[in-house]
Amino acid sequence: MEKNFIIAGFGGQGVLLAGEVLANAFMLDNKNVTWYPSYGAEMRGGTVNCEIVMNDSEDVSSVNKNETDFVIALNQASFDRFLPKIKKGGWMIANSTLVEKLQQRNDIHYFFAPMTKMADELGNAKMTNILSLGILAHISKLTGIETLEKALDVVIPAHRKNLLPMNIKALKIGYEYDLSPANV
Amino acid sequence: MTECLTKTNKKVLTKGNYAIANAAVIAGCECYFGYPITPQSEIGEFMSGKMQELKRAYVSAESELAAINMVIGACSTGAKAMTSSSSCAVSLMQEALSYAASDQLPVVLVSVMRGGPGLGNIYPSQGDYNQATIGGGNGDYKLIVLAPATVQECVDLTYKAFYLAHKYKNPTVLLADGLLGQMMEPVEFTDYPYPEVDNSSWALTGAKGRPARVIRSYAPSADDQCEFLENLHAKYKLIEENETDWEEFNTEDADIILVSFGSPARNTKSAMKHCRKLGLKVGFLRPITLYPFPSKRIAELAQTAKKFISVEINMGQMIRDIKLAVNGKVPVELINKPVGNPPSVEEIVERIIKESEE
Amino acid sequence: MTTLTQTFKIPESIKKGSKFSFCPGCDHGVAVRLVAEVLDELGLRENTIAVASIGCSVTLYDFLEVDTIEAPHGRALAEATGVKRARPNKTVFTYQGDGDFASIGMAESLHCALRGENVTAICINNTTYGMTGGQLGPTTLLGQVTTTSPTGRNVEYYGYPIKIAEHVALCDGTAYSARVSLDTVPNIRKAKAAIKKAFEIQNKGLGFSFVEILSTCPTNWKKTPQQAHQRVREEMMPVFVPGVYKDITEKNN
Repeated sequence: MEKNFIIAGFGGQGVLLAGEVLANAFMLDNKNVTWYPSYGAEMRGGTVNCEIVMNDSEDVSSVNKNETDFVIALNQASFDRFLPKIKKGGWMIANSTLVEKLQQRNDIHYFFAPMTKMADELGNAKMTNILSLGILAHISKLTGIETLEKALDVVIPAHRKNLLPMNIKALKIGYEYDLSPANV
Repeated sequence: MTECLTKTNKKVLTKGNYAIANAAVIAGCECYFGYPITPQSEIGEFMSGKMQELKRAYVSAESELAAINMVIGACSTGAKAMTSSSSCAVSLMQEALSYAASDQLPVVLVSVMRGGPGLGNIYPSQGDYNQATIGGGNGDYKLIVLAPATVQECVDLTYKAFYLAHKYKNPTVLLADGLLGQMMEPVEFTDYPYPEVDNSSWALTGAKGRPARVIRSYAPSADDQCEFLENLHAKYKLIEENETDWEEFNTEDADIILVSFGSPARNTKSAMKHCRKLGLKVGFLRPITLYPFPSKRIAELAQTAKKFISVEINMGQMIRDIKLAVNGKVPVELINKPVGNPPSVEEIVERIIKESEE
Repeated sequence: MTTLTQTFKIPESIKKGSKFSFCPGCDHGVAVRLVAEVLDELGLRENTIAVASIGCSVTLYDFLEVDTIEAPHGRALAEATGVKRARPNKTVFTYQGDGDFASIGMAESLHCALRGENVTAICINNTTYGMTGGQLGPTTLLGQVTTTSPTGRNVEYYGYPIKIAEHVALCDGTAYSARVSLDTVPNIRKAKAAIKKAFEIQNKGLGFSFVEILSTCPTNWKKTPQQAHQRVREEMMPVFVPGVYKDITEKNN
């Protein structure tokens, strides 16, 4: 099985870090995983994004995929850019605080959550990225909340460990967010 | 980032550039000299902290010219020393690489390729295949060139680069690309797996109790230079016999053999598997050493295969070495991306289907 | 009864049986000998690594019984940096011409001084590129005729010559910078003292030490050795004034 993920947003939203946490979680699950930042035309226009390829069958993953299984879009530009890349039956997980709830394609699943607003209510809008991982974990069932917590501990450097409890809280809020609108 | 590394025997998710730097530290690199350039700056950043922490030598050099010459100076004493750079800045180092090859010094250069020619851009590229394997410096010399395709291989081949450089007293290049440099994968940092090479017969240590040693390339006599070049190329022949390295899959019965190195080799391998599922007899060969190139093996395979296809991120450079090896027996085609991420699996498969119909 | 004492002998640091291949009257031979005498007197020969450069100075390793690496043109002090950083306990020096040090190698030279690398640089200033046949270099004097300044160096086409010792002295990492000449016996003695001081400063780990040596190039200047030394005094010294430009071991400096 191979699954790939794109996490995208504007600079400062922590999309590369969120990708690194997700990749670490897959590693802790003993999966093969590859993380890379996007290059090329995709890099222009103020969005930052990274792709994570997870597989448990191949020793080496291919990269630069034409299609993707999951997209986390933290802003409108990322939503617009990556919507066409999603596989039939794949998922668009979007931050509805900054993204319009339009569903132009009917061959994929959508899930909208006001992630920035929720993170803000938690006490720090910068937790949007980690909160989105909680939602992704719940929807995809490809990694668990405990693994993501461990991954956070690996990624957050020693001098920032004070931020760990808040990040874990954001992860949980995302994970426990009501998925019923998406009919998962 | 640096705090979690240098520990061995445990998987950590690591960027290619950090993997190379940390592997160099484990390999016993005593001196790092460098000048920043994207997409390899993490190597120098990592080294600046780690080398000082370990009380080893580190210099933020004033230029790449200075950096590579500092490496030569350090290597002349038998030390394990390295620099790292990218494309247009590796161009600046060509003179020194020619000297180092002539001086027979164990220089290690990490070259993380970006777009060119000229300043180009910071996207991944393999446009410096020729620069590394043919060389941009003057004279008849060769660099050993190792090409990783995964982050784990960035580690393993960095170890090997130090070993081969010292074993053969020859400048050795680890040729990666911007994608590998920026990519993160789980890696294991094992202990340095190679024996230490004894440099005491030639290193500059001060002429105590022995005649003075001179490391020089100036050869005023043509006869001396002829003899020197014959010996140098005898060494290259030895390297070719002993160190040529590659991996291959499904080549025995293949009609089409794909050849690719570095990051596009990943997609090429996937494309080969996909083609097999479609019933196409496609094989795959990945050179791990670009010099020495697995020419002999490719020549053997040209007896049975009907076509070779080189997959590269450039306008077609390795394809020449494949053509030389195939020697006109069968056609050699190119699937390329001029610069940027490798051709996707789908693009490669589509071309293979087209080629197999011809 | 008379006792015979040997007043002239070849330094230990000079290769046995070697013969200088410099042109007759060239000061390179004197400069190399002074370096050899200093290495002998300080007992450094067996612990020293030299870095040769490109130009007439390249042949250094044919005459010195010292471990030596030859650097590409201009890169001597980068290589010296590499040697010293790898082996801090060795004495490391470069022997370069003005073109190598102050033209093609200006970046390497000044940055080495700015870093305060604990190495010694000896720079021969003869106002021309000697080995290639006497072209204009960074120290060619205004009005001086060379093969690439056929009517003399003018500012319009060539700009100004560089005063190397003064520039090196301005670098904070420099511990010692001096300019000496080899035109008379007293000046040769002073030159030797400066070279010795430079090596002593390195041995004390005080930083970059530098000696610029005003030298002759009778072949390319088309002068006899005597006329050449006269030119050093009359034309070079007024522009390139001998003296100690920096010495951090002197209190009043």
